[in-house]
Amino acid sequence: MASEVDEVKQNVAEDSEELFYAAAVPILSEDLYPRKIEVIREYIQNASDALDDWLKISDLIPSDRTEPQIKISIQGKSVLIFDNGIGMTEEDIPKLQRIAYSEKKVGEEAGYKGIGRLAGIAVAEKLKITSTSYGDPKLYHFEFRAADMRKDISDKKKQGINEQATPVIKRHTKTWWTDIDPADHYTLVEIRNIKDSCDELLDSDTLIEYIGDIGPVDFSPEFKEGALISENLQRHVPDYSPKTIYLSRPDGKKVRVYKPYSDEMKIAAPRFMEISDPTNAGELLAYCWYASNAEEILGKMRPSGKIFQVEGEAVEERRRFAGLVYKLFGFSVGDRSLPERTLWTTAVVRAKWFTGEIHVVDKNVQPTTPRSDFIENAARVKLYAEAQKRIPPILKNLAQEISDNRKAFTDAKTIRQKFDKYKTQLENGGIERSDLKVIKEDLDKSFRKLGTRKNTTDKEIGAYQKEVRRLGETVQTALNDPKKLKPGYSITDLAKELDMSTKPRKVFQIIMETLQQHFSQDKDEYHEIAEKIHKALKDKYV
Amino acid sequence: MRSTKLDTSFDSNPSKDFLRREYDKAIISQWRAELGKPLKYFGLPAWKMLDVIEWQGFIDRFTTIEREEDQQHLMFLKANVENVEHRLHSLYGEFDDILLNGRDTFGHRPEWPYELVNLDYFGGFIYADLSRPKALRKLIENQAIYEQSFLFIITQQLRDGDIKKEKSGFLKDLGRSLKSGILDTALHAPVDEIVSWYEDADIPDCARQTLYMNYFLRDWGEAEHFDVACRPAIIYPGTGGSWMIHFVTDFRFQSGVGHRVASNQSLLELINLGLLEARGKGFVPTRFVQPKLSIRKRK
Repeated sequence: MASEVDEVKQNVAEDSEELFYAAAVPILSEDLYPRKIEVIREYIQNASDALDDWLKISDLIPSDRTEPQIKISIQGKSVLIFDNGIGMTEEDIPKLQRIAYSEKKVGEEAGYKGIGRLAGIAVAEKLKITSTSYGDPKLYHFEFRAADMRKDISDKKKQGINEQATPVIKRHTKTWWTDIDPADHYTLVEIRNIKDSCDELLDSDTLIEYIGDIGPVDFSPEFKEGALISENLQRHVPDYSPKTIYLSRPDGKKVRVYKPYSDEMKIAAPRFMEISDPTNAGELLAYCWYASNAEEILGKMRPSGKIFQVEGEAVEERRRFAGLVYKLFGFSVGDRSLPERTLWTTAVVRAKWFTGEIHVVDKNVQPTTPRSDFIENAARVKLYAEAQKRIPPILKNLAQEISDNRKAFTDAKTIRQKFDKYKTQLENGGIERSDLKVIKEDLDKSFRKLGTRKNTTDKEIGAYQKEVRRLGETVQTALNDPKKLKPGYSITDLAKELDMSTKPRKVFQIIMETLQQHFSQDKDEYHEIAEKIHKALKDKYV
Repeated sequence: MRSTKLDTSFDSNPSKDFLRREYDKAIISQWRAELGKPLKYFGLPAWKMLDVIEWQGFIDRFTTIEREEDQQHLMFLKANVENVEHRLHSLYGEFDDILLNGRDTFGHRPEWPYELVNLDYFGGFIYADLSRPKALRKLIENQAIYEQSFLFIITQQLRDGDIKKEKSGFLKDLGRSLKSGILDTALHAPVDEIVSWYEDADIPDCARQTLYMNYFLRDWGEAEHFDVACRPAIIYPGTGGSWMIHFVTDFRFQSGVGHRVASNQSLLELINLGLLEARGKGFVPTRFVQPKLSIRKRK
């Protein structure tokens, strides 16, 4: 099966004139879309191109004030894709009957090769397209009876008949026109009576998420960093032109589709990266934005340093936006594993610390027909090579920096809690002389740990570290002031407490005085030992 | 490529425009005010959805039924062009089948209940299999299940003259109903007179249809706990030389009533509603004037 399909694709790629058999048509259309929801992408791509073409001439028609938009709705078992773009002309309609025929200009428009226009035949009983262009008084209708064609091909195959594609397609398609207002310009695609096995196409939530993820849409107003990213993309990516796409939910609500990012996802401030052409200085091959998850640190959202994740039940669901994704004309090419596979050779997990997009600027880079990768050519080789030199090292360094900063803060925070505790104890006169040695050692250890986290690049975290150090030094100074500690250990009081008779008391006093003399240079040590003896005697005799 | 003339059987004309834009619209506006919320619409608007577009200020969501695939596709197009596609809920199949079976060809159901029902169908009320009356009755039953008051607009073709038996039976029932409410048998004579007037083969069918449609609507509505208020039927020239008849009826659900509802509008008032005729941009004196039934005690 695979070789059969490859052969068909080869034909498609090499020759826009139809050269293959009818039996290949359903195979081709079905094989192209392993995930049937990808069929929608084809029509959004065509609609997006139609809007771009309309925008090129719309200034000449000032009376037309319609907002260029793509609207998707579900009715019964049909998915409808409407755009008020350039529309089709009388010459365009018969071309729909020719598989693999396209006049789209590679490098200028998102879709090409002409297969996408018939993508719907892979998933539905019928494909109906209605279109008109500005100034044309005709509304053109095209119908492809896909289920009938599949049955016809199957019946013929049983009889050993293998017809060429064109006559079969013509037999199962119909084109006609009706009158329309010449000022109208739009296209409506109806993918009618979608197969039960492809019912994800009829689920509005699935469509919203899918289109937001792969489509040429803008950032949601609910993602405050979106405006900045959009502004940068507008400036650096010549063909960046997000489209207005609406989707009607079954409950009658019409929602605008945006990229999937929102403030709820807790995303840190985005960063940007240019991937330039070394052989043509100044020319961009691609432009990338990226960001990690964030958590609130010192009153500000800062990169948190872990695999990028969002709300969700299963791990896979939570990590669905982890990693970067290639974009071409605003559409995703491949999924988030493609940059991982093509750019990262080591520390791949660090690639997942970030979410973001790599917008390909070089027009010589073209997507494969299923949009799972780019066509293997010199432009792709150059893109991957240069992106490999830039993206992983920068992201790895940033990941390290995020990690260092996060650890610096976490450690400083823990140490600060400890210092605060000692400070409070001191203020309440609650530190025993016998505890001094341990506390001082602990302070020294904390200072050493603070010292190892000096390389933070975050100035505010650095300032916080200094603040913690100063607090520790204050505590340290106070510990050296006997007035701030609990009164010292008394041999007489202990002897009294143990109710010793004269002789043991004398012996006890001699021992303790000897110890006191012995540790005269290290009183903290003496107090610690005295406390231990005191405790042992109390446990035994009181 | 060939050109195709679109089905024009549902195209509008000045009389139809007048009813939609002025007569119906005023009633719908009042109905919307009475219910205090945008109306959910159920109907057969044809692909141009002229009624939905005209009344969209009063309508929220609308369910349409279309039996022609190409017409349904054009309806999708129209909805998108008019920017109401998100409010459209389109069912595919025969109206009667959908109402009687509860589902369309693809297994989708109407979104019961509705506050405005507009059935503008090309064809008459009575067919040999009585599927249309059964479907209308089912619609009223469904509304009753949800205890939902609604405005019921029906437009149909005047072409039922051939189904004599059903109508004759209906008129006999009507006579019996009227007489059963009048204890003084001496007053039964005017009832018989008016029934025989309607039975007269020379009487134009629109007069009969006016009476029996309103009578049926009232009868079915009352049985399902609705207080039914009929209006005079309106006849007007349709597209392509046919004559159409138009009914607008209020169905107000009476909750907490265990028995059949007696509408505020009496049967006598219903019989005397008569008929209006619309032509062009307004009403004109109708040629079909039915006798009024007057029941007063004889001196």
